[in-house]
Amino acid sequence: MTSDGLEFAGHQFARASLDHCVKCTICETACPVAAVTPLFTGPKFVGPQAERFRNGESVDHSLDYCSSCGTCTLVCPQGVQIAELNSQARAVMKSDHMPVRDQLISRTTLMGMAMTPVAPLANAALHVKPIRTVVEKVFGIHRDAPMPTARTQTLHGWLKKRPAPKKAPTRGTVVFFHGCAGGYFEVETSKKSIEVLEHLGYRVIVPKQGCCGLAQQSNGLFDAATASVLQLCDDLRSAGKGLTIVSSSGSCTGMLKHEAHEIMGVTDDRLKDVAVRIRDMMEFLRDLHEAGELPTDFRPIEMTVPYHAPCQLKSQGMGQPAVEVLRLIPGLTVVESGATCCGIAGTYGLKKEKYEIAQAVGKPLFDMVKATNPDLALCDTETCRWQIAQSSGVPTEHPIWMIHRAYGLS
Amino acid sequence: MSRVVVIGAGIAGLTAAIRLARAGLAVTLVSKGVGGLQLSQGTVDVFGYDPVRVTHPLEALDVRAAADPKHPYASIGREAVESGVAYLADLVGPDLLVGDPAANLNLPTAVGAVRPTCLAQPSMLAGACVDGASFVIVGLRRLKDFPAHLIAANLARTVLPDGGRLQARHLVIDVPARDGEIDSSGLTYARAFDDPGFRKRFAAALLPLLTHGDSVGLPAVLGLHDLQAWRKLSDALGHPVFEIPLPPPAVPGLRLNETLLTAARTAGVRLVQGNRVVSARVTEGRVAAVTVAQAGAAREYPAEAFVLASGGFESGALAMDSYGTLTETIFGLPLAGQDAGELVHGDYWGAQQPLFAVGVGVEASMRPVDAAGAPVYPNLYAAGGILAGAYRWSEKSGEGIAVGSAVKAADAIVRELA
Ligand SMILES: Cc1cc2nc3c(=O)[nH]c(=O)nc-3n(C[C@H](O)[C@H](O)[C@H](O)COP(=O)(O)OP(=O)(O)OC[C@H]3O[C@@H](n4cnc5c(N)ncnc54)[C@H](O)[C@@H]3O)c2cc1C
Repeated sequence: MTSDGLEFAGHQFARASLDHCVKCTICETACPVAAVTPLFTGPKFVGPQAERFRNGESVDHSLDYCSSCGTCTLVCPQGVQIAELNSQARAVMKSDHMPVRDQLISRTTLMGMAMTPVAPLANAALHVKPIRTVVEKVFGIHRDAPMPTARTQTLHGWLKKRPAPKKAPTRGTVVFFHGCAGGYFEVETSKKSIEVLEHLGYRVIVPKQGCCGLAQQSNGLFDAATASVLQLCDDLRSAGKGLTIVSSSGSCTGMLKHEAHEIMGVTDDRLKDVAVRIRDMMEFLRDLHEAGELPTDFRPIEMTVPYHAPCQLKSQGMGQPAVEVLRLIPGLTVVESGATCCGIAGTYGLKKEKYEIAQAVGKPLFDMVKATNPDLALCDTETCRWQIAQSSGVPTEHPIWMIHRAYGLS
Repeated sequence: MSRVVVIGAGIAGLTAAIRLARAGLAVTLVSKGVGGLQLSQGTVDVFGYDPVRVTHPLEALDVRAAADPKHPYASIGREAVESGVAYLADLVGPDLLVGDPAANLNLPTAVGAVRPTCLAQPSMLAGACVDGASFVIVGLRRLKDFPAHLIAANLARTVLPDGGRLQARHLVIDVPARDGEIDSSGLTYARAFDDPGFRKRFAAALLPLLTHGDSVGLPAVLGLHDLQAWRKLSDALGHPVFEIPLPPPAVPGLRLNETLLTAARTAGVRLVQGNRVVSARVTEGRVAAVTVAQAGAAREYPAEAFVLASGGFESGALAMDSYGTLTETIFGLPLAGQDAGELVHGDYWGAQQPLFAVGVGVEASMRPVDAAGAPVYPNLYAAGGILAGAYRWSEKSGEGIAVGSAVKAADAIVRELA
């Protein structure tokens, strides 16, 4: 694979939407990073403005402080793809001096595979200060940054061992996409998603699947990311033609729905085929409900719970399906965080030079979560859950856990 | 499923969506991006110039409506404007909007002109330009969008609308909003003013430079979330304080926008942001659904009624191609105002460009009409900048038109779907 992604990023797409910018500053007002640090000069400044001066080389290195949360694109009234433009410019800027750290932390599957067999050990190691200090010094991963908890059993391990589902399928077949985190770390979320789908009457196929390449993309490793995402498309397509693909990994779904195409310029038909078929787990349930096909025989759950819609989910432009579905549960009061971002933005908040910024970005959210319910918060994407849990001290689950409970499955 | 879909999250779309939701209807609000409210001065203009300065906006719009049946106020009517303005004021509360819809205020701008507006934020009221006022306009060294000298000099040489004069001098002080930044935005300052520590430092730097009787004019950055920040500063200084709106990022507009968004959420409006409506599906003469260009696959939002609050040319609701053909970009609605001769003339400092009064014509319940005056679709309504017939920015009528039409459309829908 040659540098097609970078070529695209450097020359083509970025500029297409540039001239739509009217300098209204709406993106600047919404940017959660510029709000907390002067090190990032803001999305308009490093984006549509600086882009005019870029000719291969970057003129403004504060671009590296953009977290790629995508809020700027979301709020832009003129359709300028500011976040995409900035991700592309950063990939080009970093291409000749890619830090080892950024290559390492974007290998999500590798991390999972390496950690699962030694889970207790890995977990223990990740909580040992001196080890984390060394990791910070050598690799630049902040010692207090949230790390996933390794599990002793992978999702596929569970699938192999579990008894066949009790209920016979009544609704047809769906493909389940779990993402790397859902395969190795957030195994419970994947299990619960599959069980809810089966409870609803679907036959669930879980094909062997690799990484979507999102972390590589957000770290500017476009070639590797493109290869990953296309391999994943092959994996998912192998499960059957035209089937709906459901995923409880919100960020990876975003990668398949639009980022691979919009940021890296992947136009492969395999990606298109997957992009139109994939649904976020909660989006899938919401659509069923809209169609009058979601059983709402939920058990009451008397609780007030904070819910945070992650940036990656907002960028998919589908509203907040989790809130709509959760509100069908009697007794449950769902309080939307109203916060822009938790700060982590994939791997941004792990980096030692960005850790403090990411914590400041997430502060209003952590405060809100603690104040709303010190025992439980809900959020759709993995790294955001790890960040919220670590920084607020409040255990944070995928919304499907609540649905699973309300259906009496746990 | 939602019973109503509102397209656009500007002042018109937000107002309509909240009113519909509070009336008990399930509402989806779809928007491509943030609306123009955040870029506004954070005041509510009802009618400012016709073309001479207006003192009593409600009376003046009545006169205008009678004389000009193509003006949006002719179909909206005074009553709906009054109820729209009152509704908005009530929604955001007296910490954000005050004033008498029957009479305009005259407030200073960031170049020292005297601007008529109807409702204003309480933090702006001490800046009313009336005979005998005594202002000191305070600039901030690191905030480049507020030329204190120009503002004070222009105000001091102006004969005021009431025929009197005011006194104005200027000062520039340097209190950094955050370390290491020599060029801060108004927003950065506004966030700093939320912090009591910063306000204290600021007051300490400014107080020795004030003299008895000064009303202190500052850039409109006195707090973003703390709506009492300006009042606390005023108390600390022992002087009346007033905010003068800046060009974007405009903090007063931001305060209004945030407050309305929160109100929409609280009212149960389903917000779908960052999404463009690309087309509509019509069955049996009614709009059945709109299609949104969602990431991945397009998605339809069906509903019983639709409100088009997509703005004007500036928001992409209207477009002109290289042949000069004008289109309303979602429904392809017939456009009024195209018969006004040359739509864009070359005299850019002269008369209005008729192009900017092009838009959709509406009947009394705000449904877009065809050339014969008949509703195009029985369940499609329009509100705000999309309406034909007004030069909203020079008349200073944009917000009045928006809230009046939003309330009228919402009420018609509530009646229809009840
Ligand atoms: C430079 C300028 C200065 C002005 N100054 C004044 C003034 O001083 N006083 C005054 O009274 N008025 C002024 N106006 C006019 C005033 O701003 C408008 O009348 C008012 O903002 C209109 O509000 P709105 O809600 O109708 O539209 P907007 O605020 O423009 O909002 C439109 C909304 O629709 C969305 N949208 C558009 N197309 C689509 C689509 N296809 N799919 C989904 N969403 C879509 C947009 O993203 C946005 O959310 C000025 C206008 C301009 C351009």
